[in-house]
Amino acid sequence: MKVIIDDKEFEAEYGEYILDVARRNGIHIPTLCHSDAVPGQGSCRLCIVEVYERGKNKVVVSCLYPITGEIKVYTNSEKIHRMRRNIIRLLAARAPGSEYIKKLKEEYGIPEETRFKVDEKEKCVLCGLCVKACEKLGSMAISTVNRGATKKVAPPFEEPPVDCIGCTSCAHVCPTGAIEVREYEGKRVIWNRTFELLKCTSCGRYFITREQYEYMKNRHGIDMKELLCDRCRQKSTAEKLVSLYKKLLVKKTLFQCYRLQKD
Amino acid sequence: MHEKPGEGILKVKSILEKYPKERRYLLAILQDIQKTYNYLPREALNEVRDYLGIPLSSLYSMATFYKALSLKPKGRYVIKVCDGTACHIRGSLDIVEEIKKQLSISPGEVTKDGKFSLETVNCLGSCALAPVMVINDKYYGNLKPAMVKDILESTGD
Repeated sequence: MKVIIDDKEFEAEYGEYILDVARRNGIHIPTLCHSDAVPGQGSCRLCIVEVYERGKNKVVVSCLYPITGEIKVYTNSEKIHRMRRNIIRLLAARAPGSEYIKKLKEEYGIPEETRFKVDEKEKCVLCGLCVKACEKLGSMAISTVNRGATKKVAPPFEEPPVDCIGCTSCAHVCPTGAIEVREYEGKRVIWNRTFELLKCTSCGRYFITREQYEYMKNRHGIDMKELLCDRCRQKSTAEKLVSLYKKLLVKKTLFQCYRLQKD
Repeated sequence: MHEKPGEGILKVKSILEKYPKERRYLLAILQDIQKTYNYLPREALNEVRDYLGIPLSSLYSMATFYKALSLKPKGRYVIKVCDGTACHIRGSLDIVEEIKKQLSISPGEVTKDGKFSLETVNCLGSCALAPVMVINDKYYGNLKPAMVKDILESTGD
């Protein structure tokens, strides 16, 4: 299926989202709430594009618009640029504390906010990615609470969450760095709850909370004899592969020798 | 109004028994609990979580989303003053001020004796009666601040 993005022709699968096709072909569309790991938010509206389909044009969010016919897409037309500027201005009024939003503000030349009262420290844009990540991972410790102007992301009763395993997925997926994680002396603090950290059995680095370890054990039924951090696990897997390959190589050589002898 | 913990949980159990263990009944269950206790006690929420097998965060999210649900006890008489557009321009804030003066509570609070709680709502759908308020199920329309005192005094157990 053919799709024209910014006057260039590209191939796309039926039902593929515009954003994915654009990204694959090196066309930049700014996003906040899009994550390949937890797709389908569509709440920040930053990735809007103009679509021309069957003689009509409309503005859609590219992260959720499936390509089902021959369409022309403009990712940075005058109209889109104007609308995106407005969106960034509102996002900046909501979360002026975020570095990423500050960068966007600069990039799009948006003046300092004078019309709305802003909370300079606020970083959250309420996109809901953190809640979705927590849900996907299955501990569901946080959710959006309240609604309207007082809506926010918080654990139940705004107390240190009982269901949290301290995996920091929420903080990692957050596009604006709004979720604070602190680590010190074998402890990790997130959502005001303090977790004890476990060490990697190979390099001795603190890397996982006890709750996270137990959770993995129960969910995947794996009883890990050694507790390896990402780096050491990669290394150990690579070493295992090398030794396996070496063994195979030896076997192959022996087999060849044997055949030569036989011949 | 105050339930002993043991009795409370029994009541929650009898509410839960009426519903199948499916998530779609969550709101109905919470409404029933709200009706029974005038608020959602924390132990009750824990019971609901265990019964339906859904995380506490989802419960808390719903409990804070709907105005009809509250996590703090409400008064036996809930005063809802309409602050929709029609009521607002016809002086609903003066009514709120008068109630504040009479009961010394602000919107969202309960009187010390637990009799009244005050809240403002966005529209009661009775704009022709503006400004209007409703105490439990009784409507009072065409209000003037001077009428508030009598209404509150005539509202009794």
